[in-house]
Amino acid sequence: MKEAFAIEAEGLHVHLGKKVALWDLNFQIPKGLLVGVLGPNGAGKSTLFKTALGLISPVAGRIELLGTPVSKIRRKVAYVPQRESIDWDFPITAGDVVLMGRFGKMGLFGSPRKADLEAKEHAMQKLGIAHLAGRQIGELSGGQQQRLFVARALLQDADLLLLDEPFAGIDATTEKVIIDILQELKRRGKTILLIHHDLSQLEHYFDWTLLLNTRLISCGPTATSATPDLLAKAFGKREALFDEASVALAKNLTGAP
Amino acid sequence: MSFSLWDFFTHPLLRGPTFGTLFLCIASSLLGVILFFQKKPLLSETLSHATWPGILLAAWLQALFFSSDESSFFFLFGCGGLFAWLGLKSIGWMEKRGKVPADAALTFVLASFFGVGTVVASGLQHTFPKIYQEMQTLLFGQAAVMQDTHIFLYGGLALGAALFLFFSFRQVQLYLFDPQFAVSSGFKIPFLEKILILFLLASLILGIRGVGVLLISGMSIAPAIAARQFTDRLHVLFLLAACFGALSGLVGNWLSVFGTIALSQNGERLSLPTGPMIIAVGGTIAILSLLFAPKRGWLFRLIRVASFRLKCIEENILKGIWKKGPLTLREMRRAHQTPRALLFFVLWRLKNGGWVETQKRSYCLTSDGMKKAIVIVRLHRLWELYLASQLGLKSEEVHGSAEEMEHILTPDLEERLTHLLANPRTDPHNQRIPERPTL
Repeated sequence: MKEAFAIEAEGLHVHLGKKVALWDLNFQIPKGLLVGVLGPNGAGKSTLFKTALGLISPVAGRIELLGTPVSKIRRKVAYVPQRESIDWDFPITAGDVVLMGRFGKMGLFGSPRKADLEAKEHAMQKLGIAHLAGRQIGELSGGQQQRLFVARALLQDADLLLLDEPFAGIDATTEKVIIDILQELKRRGKTILLIHHDLSQLEHYFDWTLLLNTRLISCGPTATSATPDLLAKAFGKREALFDEASVALAKNLTGAP
Repeated sequence: MSFSLWDFFTHPLLRGPTFGTLFLCIASSLLGVILFFQKKPLLSETLSHATWPGILLAAWLQALFFSSDESSFFFLFGCGGLFAWLGLKSIGWMEKRGKVPADAALTFVLASFFGVGTVVASGLQHTFPKIYQEMQTLLFGQAAVMQDTHIFLYGGLALGAALFLFFSFRQVQLYLFDPQFAVSSGFKIPFLEKILILFLLASLILGIRGVGVLLISGMSIAPAIAARQFTDRLHVLFLLAACFGALSGLVGNWLSVFGTIALSQNGERLSLPTGPMIIAVGGTIAILSLLFAPKRGWLFRLIRVASFRLKCIEENILKGIWKKGPLTLREMRRAHQTPRALLFFVLWRLKNGGWVETQKRSYCLTSDGMKKAIVIVRLHRLWELYLASQLGLKSEEVHGSAEEMEHILTPDLEERLTHLLANPRTDPHNQRIPERPTL
């Protein structure tokens, strides 16, 4: 049996309404790596994650996680959404949010067991937020909120973690705490994909880099796939013609006027 | 006829409406909390209006083919439920296939279904005036006709909803809080959604009898809004909403029953329908909660803003005396643009708190007041330096912001600023930054 990849995409096309979000992606990411996903705003990074998680369906092509379609291995995948996508006014405590990491296994009427509560306590301690368990989530600082979601992902005990901009707008200490935990997970054989914005830390943080700007720019070890030339290509403005053409394509495909 | 309050709960004629509306209101309040957090309270409004043409068509069919005077409510409400379900499907279809925004789809379904209902109603008015009369009571509800069977019907509904929420509380919380995560972690959302929709439809259809097509959705949302003002815990919120719902149901129905009796004794032919009375009570609870709830309520927000303003004025006065030395009242009025009465009040408070004292008709700082003034000046100048050196603002631009921040910076933030700026001595205007005084 051939060794399965952590993520594998083949001819992946995704549309969001009238817009082409992802265009013909083909890539393979081996297991056990810490992978940076980079690209300008609107490049389709979050869309790629949501497609991988099965929250958005592709119009063509396929994406597989750990060698199987996502619908069969949801419990092996953990997802940390963007902080802005959460309703922080919602009446829920920090501890209850972390505990949600175990709900996928509980079913509709299940309730957490002792082991679940212990795992919650452990994860929150590891991220230094155990003392905040009883707070309403809106009372936490930005960095604490991000730690909260990483703790929830830890509780899922997944083999593959997808983190959507965990380092946006947080303090340096939190970034350090989170990156240390992710590196430890990697040593234990987990694969981590992380959407990132800061280009200065690439070599230091990531083994592997995926550059995206609607199309795939590069995907490979950071040293060869995040060269200045390729970064300029991903973040450059030469793509205007391609963008226009892709809008025209989407119009024709969806029948929009 | 005259009834006592005890009769209200026990008399065979009255206990049906009393407990019927009570249980109905509890059930719809619980479901209302869910709609509230799904951010689609309009859904129950739309679906309840969508039942209207179904009910009327059923009544017409029944009159045409069976010509019985008694209309079977099971058939009527079955058709009503069918139309509500059709409305739900149309909304889903319009959103998904038609790319119509959610609120537009909801409003369109509400208006078109209810419009069709109105056309059917006017047809009914000419052909079967008696049935038309009977149907009109369903618009605003008529709890008076409820019997003991309704108590069990509504009690069962309320109990079912409460039990379901009790046993699947964590899952419902997850679904309301973060549905995308719920799906991604393998949680069976569509199943949960179907159960919740079934409960919603059941409460709407059954509720028409008591509260009426037009107002049933108000009954579900008002308690949720009221409860939201008091708590940051979802389970408390469910309980509070149920209590508010129960209270509106009881008091509203009581007003309807005894109000109508009182009016008829005065020879008035006016009656107070149940639905509007319940909504009036529920709405009043919601409005009072929005205004007066601690923490979130309007009044307490106002008080917090006012006390912050007061703190600013006090601190500015202390700062003024620190800079200029002892000041008379006249000099102070020239320096601070504050109304005379407010200034008196603030000076009285400062004197009372031991921050200032009077010497020869002018105000000067006590040693505590001196320390406090130094802290304010220190915070002001630290913030100016931070804006100028770290954020690159020009030194003439930083004063305005510092005037505000000096009242806001906490000791923790001060410490971080001191650390970040390496314990500085002078601000961008080359003025000395005083050391924090030891208390």
